[in-house]
Amino acid sequence: MPALLELAEVSVHFGGVAAVDRVSLSLAPGEIAALIGPNGAGKTTLFNAIAGNAPVSSGTIRFRGEAIENRSPHDIAQLGIRRTFQNGGLFPDLSVIENVLAGLHTEIASGFLGLLFTAGPSRRSEREAAARARALLERMGIGALAEQSAGGLSGGQQRMVEILRAVAPMPPLLLLDEPAVGLAPPARAALATLVRRLARENGIGVLLIEHAIELVMQLADRVVVLSDGAKVADGAPQAVRADRAVLEAYLGHA
Amino acid sequence: MSGAARAGRRLFWLVPLALLPVPLALNPYQQFVADLVLMYVPVAIGFNVVIGNLGLFAFSNVAYFGIGAYASGILMAKAGLPWWITVLPAGLAGCGAGVLTAVPALRGVRLFYLAIMTLAFGELMRWSYIRAEALTGGSMGLALPRALLFGWPLDDARKFYVFLALAVILVIATERLLCSRFGRAFMAIRGNEVAAAAMGIPTGRFIVIGFAWSGFVVGVAGAMYAALIGHLSPDSFNLSELVLEFAIIMVGGVGSQLGSVLGAAVLTALPQLFMSWPGSEELAFGLLLILVILFLPRGLASLLARWHPIFRDRYLLEE
Repeated sequence: MPALLELAEVSVHFGGVAAVDRVSLSLAPGEIAALIGPNGAGKTTLFNAIAGNAPVSSGTIRFRGEAIENRSPHDIAQLGIRRTFQNGGLFPDLSVIENVLAGLHTEIASGFLGLLFTAGPSRRSEREAAARARALLERMGIGALAEQSAGGLSGGQQRMVEILRAVAPMPPLLLLDEPAVGLAPPARAALATLVRRLARENGIGVLLIEHAIELVMQLADRVVVLSDGAKVADGAPQAVRADRAVLEAYLGHA
Repeated sequence: MSGAARAGRRLFWLVPLALLPVPLALNPYQQFVADLVLMYVPVAIGFNVVIGNLGLFAFSNVAYFGIGAYASGILMAKAGLPWWITVLPAGLAGCGAGVLTAVPALRGVRLFYLAIMTLAFGELMRWSYIRAEALTGGSMGLALPRALLFGWPLDDARKFYVFLALAVILVIATERLLCSRFGRAFMAIRGNEVAAAAMGIPTGRFIVIGFAWSGFVVGVAGAMYAALIGHLSPDSFNLSELVLEFAIIMVGGVGSQLGSVLGAAVLTALPQLFMSWPGSEELAFGLLLILVILFLPRGLASLLARWHPIFRDRYLLEE
């Protein structure tokens, strides 16, 4: 089976600094890989490179065999890579359901003239998407929040809505940047269940950056460790935990 | 609840219906003010799409208005076309100006840099109306023939109904656009451009669409201006006109169509009440602006939205 995502020797340079230094990794459909490493190791920069938010200086990124490095973020999203943001990327003035619907943008077939002049397919497509968004919120137990403005939600609720917005179109690849930050333990458990189900049942590949090590151990099929922009370990969670290079990355060089 | 809200919004049809007998009750001056309000509805709606929905500080609105007015006026005075044929070209001229003024925003210009560039475009247009004397009559202005609708002169009652129809059509069309992925894309760009792109929204394309629609709607309002005033002069499209248009959406409610309508009604009709006391008009205008910004930062529309959910802005379409 071809890899869902394939990075070969990817580097991102800012000025003379290599924020990401010749990183290679691959992810299979339905696989959950955690990206860990100390602050400043280049985890978010690597996400940005994959999603088109940071320029790739050298190397290639292939998504389902297609080269995607340095394409525009909306092109990459349209191909089926969705991400969440470390600092939260909700649209505060829109309601929860409108946020999820914005996530379904590429799934809606309405056209400019169709909306203006007809009552037909364009409007039907909009209604279907709204029903789909509402069903998703209800299935996740937050149907009651649908009409609330996203800016007024608690931090944990905002994270959950942002993840649902990324998940709504069922993208083949999901990039989650510190999804568990600020989540209370029950919400953390719900998040773990959701991510596992997306991977196992829907075959969605998940790459997540996470500092909560117990969540990583419990969720990830594979752990990739970055240090100073370079990959220092890649393997099963237990093996990586015992790796000397990883300890060095976290504790400093002996 | 959502179904009820949708059904509730059909009640908005009562507003234009209730306005139908208005021409019977008004004297010619009051009639003029009513037409003025109806003209400012699309002016505000178009402006609000850029400022309120896209969230971009672009102030070329008065240019779209002037370009629409001159397009209609020149087609009437120089090409001898009846007014009603000039309405669509006026909208398209405004639309073209909208696309042109979207270019700085596309190049990543934002905030007060964008404000200054777009203001400059408005002033450049005013200079062009003065310099293109052969077409526009220069600073002396352009006297227009009587506005015609299918061969009939547009008398007071007819003008009111035509303006009402145009305002209603533009409100509904804009509402259809806003309650769709287009409206949500605009609001996503306003909220967080990087996140919008991460959702597969081509932000540049939707910025152009927003400006184009804004320019079209305001351009049609320009044709209404030509029919209502009958004389075009470059000074009608100056900075103080822009300030009035901005005040309309600030007082009514930024990002709200209901706000555009309320603001147009209040700020166009209110000054007429103070006409008999010279100087009090500006005072009332300033006071109203300060009070609204202090106590209702989201405008008069937010007052209604707090009172009943059918007045809340929605960016989705449901069964």
